[in-house]
Amino acid sequence: MTPKQRKLAYELISNPPTGSDIAAAKEYGIDLTLLVENLALTPTERALKLIEGANSLRLLRLAGSAHRAKL
Amino acid sequence: MKLEEVLRALYNEDVEVVLIGGGAMQLQGSAYTTEDLDFCYARTKQNMARLARALAPYHPRLRGDPEGLPFHFDASTIERGSNFTLETDLGALDFLGHVAGFTDYDAVKNASETIRIFGIECQVLSLAGLIRAKEAAGRKKDLEAVIELKGLLQIRKKTKLK
Repeated sequence: MTPKQRKLAYELISNPPTGSDIAAAKEYGIDLTLLVENLALTPTERALKLIEGANSLRLLRLAGSAHRAKL
Repeated sequence: MKLEEVLRALYNEDVEVVLIGGGAMQLQGSAYTTEDLDFCYARTKQNMARLARALAPYHPRLRGDPEGLPFHFDASTIERGSNFTLETDLGALDFLGHVAGFTDYDAVKNASETIRIFGIECQVLSLAGLIRAKEAAGRKKDLEAVIELKGLLQIRKKTKLK
């Protein structure tokens, strides 16, 4: 992502055109900064993030199950 | 999740698959997080045999089924079924013969793009394809994802980012 693209992306998500899909996502509560930062990553970097997220979710699920089992 | 190992296992056996679902969403730039990997696979005899061969070393079993239930993920099992939700030594893997919004594997492949991950060329469902699949699936969580995906698609188009 070039500095120019980053600037444009942040301008877009800060003030999305009325009625646009970006505006709808923002209004719905989507954190658009996360999308822009993901677009700055290479596919392999996104894949590594996917793995990290999946493993974190798994650990959280297992911790939740262990906690419930104690109740 | 062992994404690299999964991709390598499928690649080494020349299995025709397209990454779909949450994994594809994240590779396309979404902030969605998932614990499993979903693939659409070609339902040719040759490909089903390749898929079975690729997964065999990783002990595929049906997710959620009681331990010890007899299940062999071989070509004939795949041919008799269509969509499989599996637990494997590489993590949770779903293989779908049919995807909502698409007629068959070729239609899914036509809506995919080649992305190089860990040095492996992978077919990944495009943002437009993901939107189509999610809209067709139509569950609440799918329609919520569509809002993000459409916003993401517009950001990509306007900034020319990939």
